Amino acid sequence: MSAWKYKSLTSKVIVRKLRLIKQEDMADLAGRSLQDILPVLKRTPYQTEISEIPVEQRNSVSLEKAFLKNLIRTYRGIMRDSPKDIALLLSAVLMKFEANNVKAILRAKNAELDVGEALKFITPTERLDEIRCQQILHDCKNIRDVVESLSDFEYRPALEEALREYEKTGVFLILEIALDKYVYGKIWRAARKLRGLDGKIARMVLGIEIDSINVKVILRCKAMGIGEDQTRRCLMVVSEVFGEKEWEDALRAADIKSSIEYLMAAARLASARDYGYILTDLQKGYAASPVLSRLETILDRGLLKTSLKMVKRYTPYYNIGLILAFLNLKWFEVKNLTAVTRGVEAGIAPEKIRKLLILPG
Amino acid sequence: MLIIALSVELTGIHPTRLELLRLRRRKKMAEGIVDILKKDLDALTVTLFEFLKEIPSLRGQIHEVCNEAYGLFVEAEMIAGSKIEEISLVSQSIDFDVDIDERSGILGISLPTFQLTDGSASNLRPRFSLIDTPAKLDESALKTEVALTHAVKLAEIEASMREILDVISVKKRQINRIQYKILPQLDASIRYIELILEETERQDAIRVRVLQRKRKERALRSN
Repeated sequence: MSAWKYKSLTSKVIVRKLRLIKQEDMADLAGRSLQDILPVLKRTPYQTEISEIPVEQRNSVSLEKAFLKNLIRTYRGIMRDSPKDIALLLSAVLMKFEANNVKAILRAKNAELDVGEALKFITPTERLDEIRCQQILHDCKNIRDVVESLSDFEYRPALEEALREYEKTGVFLILEIALDKYVYGKIWRAARKLRGLDGKIARMVLGIEIDSINVKVILRCKAMGIGEDQTRRCLMVVSEVFGEKEWEDALRAADIKSSIEYLMAAARLASARDYGYILTDLQKGYAASPVLSRLETILDRGLLKTSLKMVKRYTPYYNIGLILAFLNLKWFEVKNLTAVTRGVEAGIAPEKIRKLLILPG
Repeated sequence: MLIIALSVELTGIHPTRLELLRLRRRKKMAEGIVDILKKDLDALTVTLFEFLKEIPSLRGQIHEVCNEAYGLFVEAEMIAGSKIEEISLVSQSIDFDVDIDERSGILGISLPTFQLTDGSASNLRPRFSLIDTPAKLDESALKTEVALTHAVKLAEIEASMREILDVISVKKRQINRIQYKILPQLDASIRYIELILEETERQDAIRVRVLQRKRKERALRSN
């Protein structure tokens, strides 16, 4: 690994990291009105996107879109300054947002929404900008047409395969799962391509992100009594720590507690310390209160903590750790700001809003 | 009118002691029935009030659970943003149904029972993307289901109350019929027979006295 390739990127990421909203400021925003939050946000990197929204349309929905646009712009900015292998990984991660637009188009087509209504759910990305999305929504009559119109996208084959099943069963979820599996598979493959410490950190952080999603799926399916076959279909088995056997054991466990215990044992066997810390927190959280939303918060916080741990464990200057930690901090900042603006607009008590924030400390 | 009606009904009565005894027995039995009906009415009224007491608490529970469900839904929106609205476009709806049955209630009255059933196959597969939605949405959906269960229970109680009110009105009509029609009729008949019998007794006494007087006169004349 050459440390030289990070010479300009690290400093730029550090500057961007310094411009993140501080934890106490985020908590403070929860106690303000939307009118009071806007001037604060204008002093942050979100200013550009917020200023594009007409004053009379500034509400939680338009602000959420602005936050996401800013996140995508941040990704693209970092990608521009990144060496090729890191840029490839980030472009794979960015595909999550592109896939969200594909899902939004498919959902809108399924519900026969008009173009204007459907565009509400689109956050423009490089390849799927507003004009392209508008064109797809306008030209395509049904879901098959949408899939066919994505001929220049690499996930078309995956969607086509799912489309056949969707046309037989009418279950829309099949398309969503196919798309998610493709995107997260692509992210994982990109992470595996990285060598040395970069590869190790990327596989740890992104592996935890993907496995957190799998754990959430298993816990929710167990809580809702969804069959093992259906749960298995939603899982994305990619990481190095949990293989098919481990997920199968967790899936077949009698209850949520046993599932967590199986995964903890597997993490211990694989000497995956960071997985162990998160799962221990999860176990403690479940013992304290068996509420799934709490466990989801623990998992999200675990991902954030692991990202930051990577920066502390290895030097922050010459590896991908800082970049991934910053991008995760930025992602949760966007999620927190969405929660704050939505909560404030709905008149939710500040303490309740603060409880929903994912903060590392 | 009542006098005419009574007189019409009295025409078919045989003014005999046997009939008097029969009518008195009927009156006693009618009074016994009124007592039983009144006891039934009391029991029904008590049950009605017990049902009535459940309504405010159930309504309160529905209100509370709906509030919780809405709160959780807002929290889900806070976590997932506009994804929730987007996902609602394709999420599978649940086909709820209400199973209606009967159970034997107070005094053997058949009361309706309503049971909320989930007729869809929603338990077999997720209804929406689990990756794009937070668990708060499931929690909100569960609370909504609880609210629906309470609403169905409330409907069951209201239907049972309607059933009990119907029986109460029937019982009241029966009591009124016995108290204000059958018993006065029996009293009138009894009084009528008693009057006739008294009259017959008086006539018999006069007849006896006349015969005794005639017998005495005949005896004096023969002496």
